[in-house]
Amino acid sequence: MPIIEVSDLAKQYPLPDNKSEKFFAVNGVSLAIDAGEIFGILGPNGAGKTTTLEMLEGLNDIDGGTAIIDGISVNDNPYKVKEVIGVQLQANEYFDNVNLEELLSLFAALYNNNADPIALLKKVQLEEKAKAKPNNLSGGQKQRFSIACALVNEPKVLFLDEPTTGLDPQAKRNLWDLVRNLNNAGMTIVLTTHNMEEAEELCDRIAIMDKGKIIAEGTPQELILEYAPEPPEAPLHGDLEDVFLALTGHELRE
Amino acid sequence: MLTALQRHLTSVFLKIFWRDRRSIFFSLFFPVIFMTVFSFANSGEQDPISVGIVNNSSSAVATDFSEMLIANPLFDVTLGDEPALREALIAGDQTMVLVLPQDFDTNLGNTTSEINVVVDAAQVSQLGLIMPLLEQTLLAIEREFRDIEPMFSIAIEDVQARSQRYIDFLLPGLMAFTLMQLSIAGSGFNIVEYRRKGILKRLFVTPIEPRDFITAIVLARMAIVLVQLSVLILFAVLLLDIRIVGNFFAYYLVVILGTIVFLCQGFCLGSLAKTQEAIGALGNIVIMPQIFLSGIFYPIESMPEWIQPVAHLLPLSFVSTGMREIANAGATLLEIYPSLIGIAVWFVISFVAATRLFLWKEVAN
Repeated sequence: MPIIEVSDLAKQYPLPDNKSEKFFAVNGVSLAIDAGEIFGILGPNGAGKTTTLEMLEGLNDIDGGTAIIDGISVNDNPYKVKEVIGVQLQANEYFDNVNLEELLSLFAALYNNNADPIALLKKVQLEEKAKAKPNNLSGGQKQRFSIACALVNEPKVLFLDEPTTGLDPQAKRNLWDLVRNLNNAGMTIVLTTHNMEEAEELCDRIAIMDKGKIIAEGTPQELILEYAPEPPEAPLHGDLEDVFLALTGHELRE
Repeated sequence: MLTALQRHLTSVFLKIFWRDRRSIFFSLFFPVIFMTVFSFANSGEQDPISVGIVNNSSSAVATDFSEMLIANPLFDVTLGDEPALREALIAGDQTMVLVLPQDFDTNLGNTTSEINVVVDAAQVSQLGLIMPLLEQTLLAIEREFRDIEPMFSIAIEDVQARSQRYIDFLLPGLMAFTLMQLSIAGSGFNIVEYRRKGILKRLFVTPIEPRDFITAIVLARMAIVLVQLSVLILFAVLLLDIRIVGNFFAYYLVVILGTIVFLCQGFCLGSLAKTQEAIGALGNIVIMPQIFLSGIFYPIESMPEWIQPVAHLLPLSFVSTGMREIANAGATLLEIYPSLIGIAVWFVISFVAATRLFLWKEVAN
C-alpha cells in the first residue's frame, strides 16, 4: 500500500531569458512510494528533483497532476499534509542568537505539540550541543540538527533534500546510520542525492530524473543490471554512477 | 487573544531581537549623539561671527565704525590687510571681510560710501544674519554724524514663561523619526534576512499561518522598540533636562500606534524587496522624504506653501505632530484627534498592504 501516490505531476516556470515562454520544470512525474521505504530521487542539477519535492511539501503550487500523502490530497489540503511530513531543506540556516534547544521547542510550538527538545537532540546525537547556536555547528552536525527539526511532529514521511552534500565521509556515513535507524523505526524516507554510493547504500528504490521526467525506476540492483554497461574486463557490472551518466549524459549541467 | 503558538513565537522573536545587543546599541547611538549635539548647540549664546576689517581709510569715521563692531559682542573682529584676510576667508577662519574704501568719510552725508563685503560662498547662509547687524551699526554711526535721535528703540523683556528651547521642539520629532526607522528596519530587514537564509521557507513547511508570523514579529519588535525609545526618553529627561509637559501615557500611546504603523510598512517593504540592497534602497525612498517633510527638524508651517498639504498627510507627520503637541503643549488625546485619525488611516492602509504583500509562497521562495 503506497503512502505516497503521485500521478502526472507538472510544474511550469517562465524561461529565465524569455519570460513569455514557459518550460516544464517537472513534466508528468508519477511515483508510488510504499510505507517504510527509503526512496531516492537522482538526477543532474535542474532535473526537477527539488521542485518535485517542494510540490509534495506544499512549498510550490501544483500546476498539473495529483499527489496524495498518507491518504491526504496535497492539491486540496496542503496544510493537513504538513502535519504528517517532516522536511529537511537544502538551506539549513536558522535564526541567530537562539540555541538548538530553543529552536526545537519553537518548531514543536509550530506544530502545537510538546516534543522534548533534549530527546530529539539525543536521537541525532547532539544532546551535548543543546545550548549551542546553529552557526557554531559543523556541517554534519547542522544536517543532523535539520533532521531533528524535521522530527518534532513525528512525521510519517521524511523528505531529505541532498542531506549529505558537502559532508566529509565520516559525517556522511554517520548520517546514513541515522537515516537507517529512522527507517527501521518505521518512517518512510524520500531523499534526493547526487551521491551514487549513497543511493546504492541507502535506498530501497530509486527514480532517476532528467529534464523534468522520470527516465528510470527500480531497485539499485535492477537499474545496474539493466543500464550499466558491462566493464570490458571485470566480470562485474559498473556502479550506479555509470547508470547515472549513461542515462543523463556526460555534458556538464549547471 | 493570542494563541499559544503566537505567544511562543513572540517570545522566541523577543529572545532573538533582545540578544542582538550590538544592533540595539547602535540604534541608540545615533539619536543620543544627535540629541546631545542639539542640546549643546542651543545652550545659550551664539558664537561671535568672525569678521575681518581692511581699513583703507585713515578717517575718524572708519575708526569709529571698526570700534563699534569690535565693541559688539556678536562680532569677533580682526583688523588686517586685504590679502591676508582674504586668505583667512578662504581658509574658513573668517566669515566675511569688510573692505572700507579710501574715501570712507569724504563727502559723508552727500554721497553714499560703499563698503565692500567679501564672503565665501560656503558662508553665504550666514549673510542674512550678518547684514542686518552691519546695517544697524552703520545706521547708528550715521545717526551720530547727522545728530539724529532714533525714533524707536526695542526693549526686550524676558517673561521667563515655560521656555521652549529648540531641543524641546526637536525631541518628539526625533523620537518619531527614531521609532519609524527602528520599526521599518526592524521588520523589513528581518524579513529579507530570513528569506535569504531560507528560514521563511523552512517555517512554511510547518503548519504555521502568515498571521501568526506577522503577529509575533510585530509584538516582539514593538517591545524592543519601546525599550529603545524609553532609554532615549530617559536620557533626554534626566541628562538633557527635556520636559514632557503632557500626559506620559498619552505620549506612549502615540508611540505604540506609530510603531505598529511603521512595522506594517516594514513588512510591505520586506515583502517587496528581494535583497538587503533592495530593502535599503526601498527603505530610503520611504524614510528620506519624511525626514525633511514631516516637521522633524523644523515646523511644517515653515516649508513652501505648496508642499504643506502633502507634508501634513505623511504618516510620520501625524505621529510627530501628535507627540509634539502632547510633549510641548500638554495636549490631551482628545485634542490631538486629527493626528490619531491620520495614524489610524495609515494603520489600515499599511496593515492591509502588509497582509496582501506578505504571501508565504512568494516571500519564502
